[in-house]
Amino acid sequence: MSVTGSKRLLSVVAFAVFSLLAGSAQAQTRAETLRYVTGATVNTLDPNIPGSTREAFAVSLSTYDRLVSFGRKQLNGKWVFDLDTITGELAESFDVSPDGLKLTFHLRKDAKFQDGTPVSAEDVKWSLDRAVTAPVLGKAQLLTGSMTSPDQFKVVDPLTFEVTLPKPDKLALPNLATVYPIIINAKVAKEHATADDPWATAWLKEHTAGSGAYRIDMFKPGEQVIMTRNDTWNRGTTDKSASFKRIIVQSVPEPATRANLVERGDADIVIDLQASDVQSLEAKGKLKVISTPQYNAVTFVSMNNLIPPFDNVNVRRAVAFALPYDDMFKAALFGRGAPLFGATWADGRPASGAYPIPQPVKLDLEKARDYLKAAGLPDGFSTTFSFNVGQASTAEPMAALIKESLAKIGIKVDIQKLPDAQMSTQINEKKLPFFTEGIVAWLPSTDYFYRNFYTGNQRWNYSSIDNPELVAIAQEARFEPDKAKYEEDGRKLNAIHFNEIPQIPLWQPNQDAVMAPSIEGYTYQFHRQVDYRDLSRK
Amino acid sequence: MAGGMAAFGVTMARAGKRFLSSLPVLLGVLVFTFLLMRVLPGDPAVFFASGPNAGKEEIEVIRKQMGLDKPVPEQLMLYLYDVGRGNLGRSMTTGQPVTTDLRARLPASLELTFAALLIALVSAVPLGVLAALRPGSIIDHGVRLFCALGVCVPTFVSGLLLIYVFYYLLGVAPDPTGRVDIFASLPPSRTGFLLIDFLLAGDIDGWWAAFRQLILPALSMALFVIAPLARITRASMLVSLGSDFIRTARSVGLPWWRVVVTYALRNAILPVITITGIVFSTMLGANVLVEKVFSWPGVASYALDALLSSDYAPVQGFVLLMASVFVIVNLVVDVLYGIADPRVTVG
Repeated sequence: MSVTGSKRLLSVVAFAVFSLLAGSAQAQTRAETLRYVTGATVNTLDPNIPGSTREAFAVSLSTYDRLVSFGRKQLNGKWVFDLDTITGELAESFDVSPDGLKLTFHLRKDAKFQDGTPVSAEDVKWSLDRAVTAPVLGKAQLLTGSMTSPDQFKVVDPLTFEVTLPKPDKLALPNLATVYPIIINAKVAKEHATADDPWATAWLKEHTAGSGAYRIDMFKPGEQVIMTRNDTWNRGTTDKSASFKRIIVQSVPEPATRANLVERGDADIVIDLQASDVQSLEAKGKLKVISTPQYNAVTFVSMNNLIPPFDNVNVRRAVAFALPYDDMFKAALFGRGAPLFGATWADGRPASGAYPIPQPVKLDLEKARDYLKAAGLPDGFSTTFSFNVGQASTAEPMAALIKESLAKIGIKVDIQKLPDAQMSTQINEKKLPFFTEGIVAWLPSTDYFYRNFYTGNQRWNYSSIDNPELVAIAQEARFEPDKAKYEEDGRKLNAIHFNEIPQIPLWQPNQDAVMAPSIEGYTYQFHRQVDYRDLSRK
Repeated sequence: MAGGMAAFGVTMARAGKRFLSSLPVLLGVLVFTFLLMRVLPGDPAVFFASGPNAGKEEIEVIRKQMGLDKPVPEQLMLYLYDVGRGNLGRSMTTGQPVTTDLRARLPASLELTFAALLIALVSAVPLGVLAALRPGSIIDHGVRLFCALGVCVPTFVSGLLLIYVFYYLLGVAPDPTGRVDIFASLPPSRTGFLLIDFLLAGDIDGWWAAFRQLILPALSMALFVIAPLARITRASMLVSLGSDFIRTARSVGLPWWRVVVTYALRNAILPVITITGIVFSTMLGANVLVEKVFSWPGVASYALDALLSSDYAPVQGFVLLMASVFVIVNLVVDVLYGIADPRVTVG
C-alpha cells in the first residue's frame, strides 16, 4: 500500500469515527427535542393580536400561563380536554361564591415570571384589564363569560384576586382557561407601552413576558419557532416542569413532505396531514396515530335561508334528503370522523340536548322529490355551491358528489371554488346561497352553539336563520343552573333545528395526530392544536 | 486598453439611462398593483378576523390597522408616501414589516435561483452545442427528448419525485425543509446567502449542510428551464456554425474546439444571454411550487400566501420587488451584451 493510500484510509477512518461520535451526541439532544411540523405558521407571540393564527395560540399556551386550565378525560380510549374539570394553573385554588357572582383566585406562592419576579395579583389584574379593554381578541371571548369591564377585577391582596360577575355565568370560569386571558408580567409590559399603545400590543407581538413552561429562543414568523424549557415552571398536571427540553415548531407547507418527515422519524408529531396520508401511515403501523373526532367542531352544508329558493323550508328539506352522505363521508374524509347523519330518533324527538347530535337524515331521493313538489318546484332549480381553496382537498370531492346527486332531483348545481379571503368576505356579506363551511367552539355547550351560530345578522350565522323562539330558549339556557332543565332546553333547540333545517350538519372531522411511537401524553385540546406541555418521550 | 475603457463607459452610461427611463414603469406597476388588489373581491379584514369570536368590532380593528377605513385615493397617496420613505407596509400573515420579510427572504430565493440557473446553464449550453454539432443524430434526438421531459413535468412533480427517491427511499438527501438542517446553527448573517455566509464564518460543515439542502430544489427548478436554454443554444449554434466565418476558420485548419468555442459559441451566445435574463426573472417569481414543496423560505411562496388571504402590503411589495429585479436583470443583460459583442455598445 502506498503512503498516500494509507493516509487516505486513515482520514476516512477518522472521519467515520468523528461522524459516529457527532451522531450520538446529536441523538442525545434530539431525544430531548420535540420537532413539530405544520402547514400553518406562527405570526405573533401574543395570541390576542387580531389575525393570530392557531399555531400562534399553541405557542402562547407554552410561553404564558393562565389562571386556570382544563383537565382531561378519556373519551373512547383517547385523551381529550374536559370542559367540566377546571384545574388551577397560576391559581393554586379558587372559590365560587354560593350565589355564583364572585370568583376568588388564590395564586401560587412559588409562581415566578421568566425574569424571576413573582407573579402577583396586580399582574393578573393588568392582564385581564388588557383583555377586556385593549383592541384585542380576548375582548369578544371574555364577553361570552360576562366579563366586560376592568371594574369586575379586583386585587384583594398580592396573592388573592377576585372577579365579580353581573349574573351567575357558567362560562365565566372556563373562559379564563381559554387561549386569550394570558397572564403577562405587567411591569415589563408597561415599560414597553407607549401613549398610542398603552397595552404594549406592538411589543408583546414580538416578545414574551410570561411565566409559561417554555421561553422563546428564536421566532422567525412564517418559518419556525424554537423554545427552551423553563426549568422552574411547575404547573404541569403532576406539579412538574414540562418534559421536552426544546420544542421546534416548523412550517412545512407541503403535506406530503410532512408525512415523509414524520414517517422517517425526522419530525416527532404532526396533526395536519391529508386524510389519505394518515390512512396509509396507519396501515403501515410504524407510527402512533391518535384520531379524535373534533367534538367541538362541525362541518356543514349551509343554505342561506334568506335567499330564494332556500327561504322555503321544503327546499331545505329536499336538499337534506338528497345529499349522498355515505359517499361524501368516504370521498372527502376517507371515513375519518364522526358522522352526523343517518340517525333514527325515537318518535321523532331529538335523542339528546347536546349539540351537535346525529340528524335523522339519509339519502332518500323519493322523499326529496316529494319535498320539492311541496315547495312548488317539482322541476327543480339552479344554484351555485361554493367552497374555499383552503378546504379543497375535502370539499372538492364533496361538491362533485353533491352536484351529481342533486341533479337527480332536478337541482342544477354550479361549483364555485373561492380563494379563502373571498369566501369569508362573501359569507360575511351573506351573498352565498349554498356552500360548505365549518364551525368550532372552544367552550362547546349547546346554548353557546345556538347563540353564536344561529342568532343575529352576523357572519357566523351561516344560514342567516332568524327564529325568535330559538333565540329565546338559547338565551334562557345560558343562565339555567338546573341540569335537567338545561337538557330539556337543548332538546327543544335541537327539535327546532331539525324542523327548520337551516343548514345540514355533516360530520365532525377527525383530528389525526400522527407521531413517533415514543411520544406520549397527546391530548386533544379545545383549541385543536398540540399543547406541547402534554407531551413526553418514552 | 483605452478603447476598452471607453466602451465600458459607454455601456455604463447607457445602462444608467435605461435605469432612469424604467423608473416611471416601476411607479406604474406600483399603482396598478395597488388598485388591482383593491378591486379583487376579497376583504382581508374579514379573512384575518377569523378567530372563534371575531365579530364586526374585530373586523373594524383590523381594517383600521391596515388603513382600509380611509378612501382609496387617500390610501394610495399614503402608500406612495410610505414607499418613498422605504416603508412597504406590514404583512398581516407574518405580522412583520414587508421590507423585513423581503430582506430576509429574497436572499433565499436568489440563492436558489442562482444555483438552479447555474445547473441549467452548465448542462443546457453543452447539450445545445452537442445537439447542434450533430443535427438529426441520436444525440440531437436524445437532447430533444430530455428537454421535452423536463418541460412536461411540472416542477412540483419533479420536486416531490426527487424527495421521494433521494430523501424517502434512499435517505441520502437531508430532510427537505428549508435552507439548513433545523438542528444546525446558522452562521452570522452577512450577505443572507447561506453558502457565502458559511464560508465567511469558516464553517465548512455548515456549508456542506446548506449545499446539500440546496441541491434538490435547485435541481427540480433547473430541470424545468434546461429545455428553453438548450433549444435556443442549439438553434443559434446551428446558424452560427453554418456561417461563412466558421467555414473560413475550418478551412485554415484551426483546431475544432477553437472553432466551436471561440468563434461559433461566442457568436451564438447573444440570444442565450437574452433568454437567460428572462428565465432568471421568471424563475425568481415563479418558483413558488418548488419553494412550497421544499419549505424554502423564499419570496414567491410568501407572496402566494399573502395573495390567498388578500394581504395587500406583501403582494404589492413583492410585485414592486419583482419589477425592480426585472429592471436590474435587463441592465445586467445589456452589460453582458457589450462584453459578448462589442458592436452592441456602438448602437
